[in-house]
Amino acid sequence: MKKLFVVFLVAAVVLSAFAFKVIMVTDTGGLGDKSFNDGTWHGIVKAAKEVGADYEVIQSYEQADYIPNLSKAAKEADMVFAVGFMMTDALFKVAAQYPNTKFVGIDIVPPEGKELPNVLTFTFKEQEAAFLVGYVAAAMTKTGIVGFVGGIPIPPVERFRYGFEAGVKMFAKLHGKDIKILRGYTQEFSDPKKGKDLAMSQFAEGADVIFHASGACGNGVIEAAKEKFAALVGKANPTLEDFINYYYEHGKGFFAIGVDADQDYMAPGAVLTSAMKRVDMAAYYAVKWAYEGTFKGGHMVLGLAQEGVGMSPMRYTKGLVPTRVLAELLLIEKLIKEGKFVIPDSQEALDSFKVPPIKFPF
Amino acid sequence: MNIEGLIAAAVRMGTPLLFATLGEIITERSGILNLGLEGLMLVGALTGFATSYMTGNVWLAFFAALIVGALFALIHAFMSVTLRVNQVVSGLALTMLGSGISGILGKAFVGKPAAKFQIVNVPGLSQVPIFGAFFKMDPLVYLGYVLVPLLWLFIFRTRWGLTLRAVGEEPSAADSRGINVFLVRYLATMAGGALTAAGGAYLSLAATSMWIENMSAGRGWIAIALVIFSAWEPFKALVGAYLFGFVMSLQLRLQAVGVAHVSADLLMMLPYLVTVVAMILFSFSETFRKRIGAPSALGVPYAREEKS
Repeated sequence: MKKLFVVFLVAAVVLSAFAFKVIMVTDTGGLGDKSFNDGTWHGIVKAAKEVGADYEVIQSYEQADYIPNLSKAAKEADMVFAVGFMMTDALFKVAAQYPNTKFVGIDIVPPEGKELPNVLTFTFKEQEAAFLVGYVAAAMTKTGIVGFVGGIPIPPVERFRYGFEAGVKMFAKLHGKDIKILRGYTQEFSDPKKGKDLAMSQFAEGADVIFHASGACGNGVIEAAKEKFAALVGKANPTLEDFINYYYEHGKGFFAIGVDADQDYMAPGAVLTSAMKRVDMAAYYAVKWAYEGTFKGGHMVLGLAQEGVGMSPMRYTKGLVPTRVLAELLLIEKLIKEGKFVIPDSQEALDSFKVPPIKFPF
Repeated sequence: MNIEGLIAAAVRMGTPLLFATLGEIITERSGILNLGLEGLMLVGALTGFATSYMTGNVWLAFFAALIVGALFALIHAFMSVTLRVNQVVSGLALTMLGSGISGILGKAFVGKPAAKFQIVNVPGLSQVPIFGAFFKMDPLVYLGYVLVPLLWLFIFRTRWGLTLRAVGEEPSAADSRGINVFLVRYLATMAGGALTAAGGAYLSLAATSMWIENMSAGRGWIAIALVIFSAWEPFKALVGAYLFGFVMSLQLRLQAVGVAHVSADLLMMLPYLVTVVAMILFSFSETFRKRIGAPSALGVPYAREEKS
């Protein structure tokens, strides 16, 4: 009996040593951010369960943790995920020391000349998803003012802003409206109070739709929209139905637009839609490729065409958006996917963005 | 920009700072330097939120935060009073411990909804134009208003306050007068911890109704600067905390009205710049410097001289 147990134990140890192992290292946002850390994790778990790989997560509490955490993960795992733009330097430092481990960077671009054969990085065309939500925001504002709340103005956040502003501009031009955009940054990603205050001050300046790209600060932005809308409705805790009824009777409301994941559920009715970044898809395919042996180092940019970004399906608020706007969105999405026009991904491109002369066939 | 809105935002921004600053004033008046405010605030924020989530009773949640804050500060009291370790090190450890523990235990509460303090208009006063903005607040803000004069009376006009100050200035003299220096320091550190945790609880029970890891976002450190700014005095702490709240909310508002061409980073620096400038001004004035004097025994562990 004892012998059997030992054999079993040895077998288990040997087997587990051979099992393909994936470790994800979070950025300081950590699991539970309901945003890209969680998203990547979902993708990894889904793929790992399908192929029967082991998976683990290591949380980073501050930026100084990145290198030790990645090194630890590289020693133990066959595949290591680094999540977040802030981890770029740490990822490439560690990956150079462990050439036999596969690394995946989410939201990371290889620094020029530092590309490594064992590192696959993904970035997303945030601007394409943001363009669509910007278009909806412009269609839904009754005050003619929309707001943008960013975290730290790092490239992914800024790409959200460029796309959003271009989308607003497009709607304004095509429909002959004049729409103003308020911009603000919380300068961090973890203080919901600051996000809420910034949103409140934009609402006070007349905005009625605010798009956030500010991590957990955005939870405060969403709470601000919910509170303002609830005050309008005149109930302490309005249901989705209360919001919808009020909007139909009075034709106005206050809305937040979520980011990264589908955040519509966080305040049903008060979150108009979300600009989603499908980090889960990127993580899912990376694990699959590694397991199947088709993993290649390099850099991939995922946009609408690759379904790497998109707009949430508006589970709660679709009924509020005019059908005509929804139809226009579908056409615009198709044109972007076909590459008929390019969404700006830099300030210069945004400044020189010319609204294409689209004729809607309806 | 509307003035009432700005006042309201400044007071709401300032209130968590006020609680933490008042707490640290009590602690430092006894001669104990507690740099663990950030950790205490996080522990308070989580305790408050978790209790509110589970019971739905915001007052119960607030008191739970006070108690847990006092207990958490007990660690610092034990380290610095009984073990006489370096108070800076112990305080920093408390910050890291608080942010770690709240981060781990708080995972389950991220994104959950919970009850929060509602706005209560003070009849009459809230109708006054502009000034009325101070009286359309949640109960914790009012608690802050009341606490300031009470603490001032306590520190400067009661026998207990005298005892507290004596321990912070000349512990050996206090000891020779029969005061239990250790007990006073223990109690002051715990009371300070409770108030600081209340500042954290304000974030998760009144300012917002959510818990997010590290949501105090550096407010504990600002409070430590504010203690110096306020010269260890409750009324100046009120001015300082609201001034900070004002500058913080002003920069958010300036961004909203489109003065964003001034770099956001520069605007973020404003509160800290205000502290530095204020401290420089204070140090230039001789009379002020004499009055501002920190408790003489601040940060110095007290040991009874061995009788030979």
